[in-house]
Amino acid sequence: MSGSASGLLARLERWGNGAENASLVLLLGALTALAVGQIVLRIVFDSGLLWADELLRIMVLWIALIGSIAAARSKRHLKIDVLSHLIPERYTQIAGIIVDGFSSLMCGLLAWHSIRFLQITIAMEDTVLVDFPSWIAHGILPVAFLLMCYRFLISSAQGIGDLFNTQNTPGANQ
Amino acid sequence: MILLGAILVLLTVFGAPLFAVIAAGAMLGYQKEGIDLMAIAIELLGISQMPFLSAIPLFTFAGYLLSESNAPSRLVRLTNAILGWMPGGLALVALAACAFFTAFTGASGVTIIALGAILYPALKQDGYPDNFNLGLITTSGSLGLLFAPSLPLILYGVVAEISIDNLFRAGALPGLLMLILLAGYSLWVNRQYRKPLRSFSGREVAAALNDAKWELPLPVVVLGGIYSGYFAVSEAAAVTALYVLLVEVAILREIRLGDLPKVMRESMLLVGGILIVLGVSLASTNYMIDAGVPQLLLAYTTGFVSSQAGFLFLMLIFLLILGAILDIFSAIVLVVPLILPIAAQYGVNEFHLGIVFLAAMQLGYLTPPVGLNLFIASYRFEKPIMTVYSATFPFLMILLLSVILIMYWPELSLMLVPN
Repeated sequence: MSGSASGLLARLERWGNGAENASLVLLLGALTALAVGQIVLRIVFDSGLLWADELLRIMVLWIALIGSIAAARSKRHLKIDVLSHLIPERYTQIAGIIVDGFSSLMCGLLAWHSIRFLQITIAMEDTVLVDFPSWIAHGILPVAFLLMCYRFLISSAQGIGDLFNTQNTPGANQ
Repeated sequence: MILLGAILVLLTVFGAPLFAVIAAGAMLGYQKEGIDLMAIAIELLGISQMPFLSAIPLFTFAGYLLSESNAPSRLVRLTNAILGWMPGGLALVALAACAFFTAFTGASGVTIIALGAILYPALKQDGYPDNFNLGLITTSGSLGLLFAPSLPLILYGVVAEISIDNLFRAGALPGLLMLILLAGYSLWVNRQYRKPLRSFSGREVAAALNDAKWELPLPVVVLGGIYSGYFAVSEAAAVTALYVLLVEVAILREIRLGDLPKVMRESMLLVGGILIVLGVSLASTNYMIDAGVPQLLLAYTTGFVSSQAGFLFLMLIFLLILGAILDIFSAIVLVVPLILPIAAQYGVNEFHLGIVFLAAMQLGYLTPPVGLNLFIASYRFEKPIMTVYSATFPFLMILLLSVILIMYWPELSLMLVPN
């Protein structure tokens, strides 16, 4: 890999990380504020914003998916990790490459079918929150899965790179 | 189909993310039934249609904030002031403080890291044997699971579509039973280590109370608010998150503003991980219900057992195996929708079922090969995993006993649930 290309990748990483963190902070802050605001409205004024509940749920969807992208980056998705404690490291490396490739493929498929679904909702002019186009609210689906697809692909490629690296110079895989 | 299934199982044991495996399974199923695969996107959007789900990110965030602050040491000090004078006091302190902390921080293993770091050396200093301490702390890491407002209870209520408030009520006494049995065991094992008892000091209690004055309103507001029906679960979660944020960041300043994004990210990593599995499970569950899997399971089960007691026993065996390989959150979203209709056929009360399910899954934290607490304790205290496991084993047996009691004594769960 040439220096400028890896430099670009590194910069993308930093931006991606920053964007994830910023959106998680904003969403979590907004979720807390809106939820508490609703309670105050209910208790003090005996009223509430009609669309607030729906917006809260959409925020939960966004938090779930962006949290999921972050989990893919930090390799913290829930999994059953039985064998990695039992088999030699070399084999877990190879298994990791296959597993990441598989995850990437699945995320790609999920992204593709989400896009197909969104196209229909655009054609039907579906709305959420009274009159807001639903494809924007639900657009996080393909975005999140595409990013996870990319993330797992990179991870798989890195695994292959590490494999060859350790083969050539044992003990130095960084 | 069988070959593809075998490949999926293989990918799973080699550590493929569960959401990817479940999504693959659901897509295969849809393909086979001739359902358009875009249906999976519709199912995923189910995450945005579940009531009370916002409680999960909010409580998780509050829990992470609490464990990053000095709240754990304040909690230990207070519990010690109240319980420390009893024989075997420190062991009781450990159990009570951990149960309380786990209930408030979800059952994600943070208890062992946050409280274990304080309690483990303290127990050692008080002369308790090392193996006992290790077992006690490892077990305590998931002890508060049945107490409100723990995450698994909330998730169970959301997935099973039953009243979360009532589930909170149902969990209280069974959770207490576990606590009492473990406390009794701890006292009995350490009967020969009788030490001169520390005297009870009203002044220390007052000082500890004063020290924890900012956190003290939390359980009152959360539990009081929920049990009285004043707050919905998601509202209590929002109040908790905002309150903890203000106290730990603005008032006590134990978490620097600059560290806040890190804490938020860490907590939302866990939330994202849980909710994405929930989303794809909605799809796979739907397929399985379409394909008549619950009926098949029911037919299969009735071939084995006809009585409720027999069914419960069979379910316990199943849950123990399940808990040994699957984390509690994935187990809830994947398995509960399939078990519910079967249990209903055997006349098992839905709240009792929930408590039995979660109590049995709690053992999964302590059983190899994937018991989360074993690995966290092994990592945190730098002990080989087998040492941790054997140290935990007697506690595991006590918990198993309490699960059996909870299972065959439904009134214990249902006593506090209004009809």
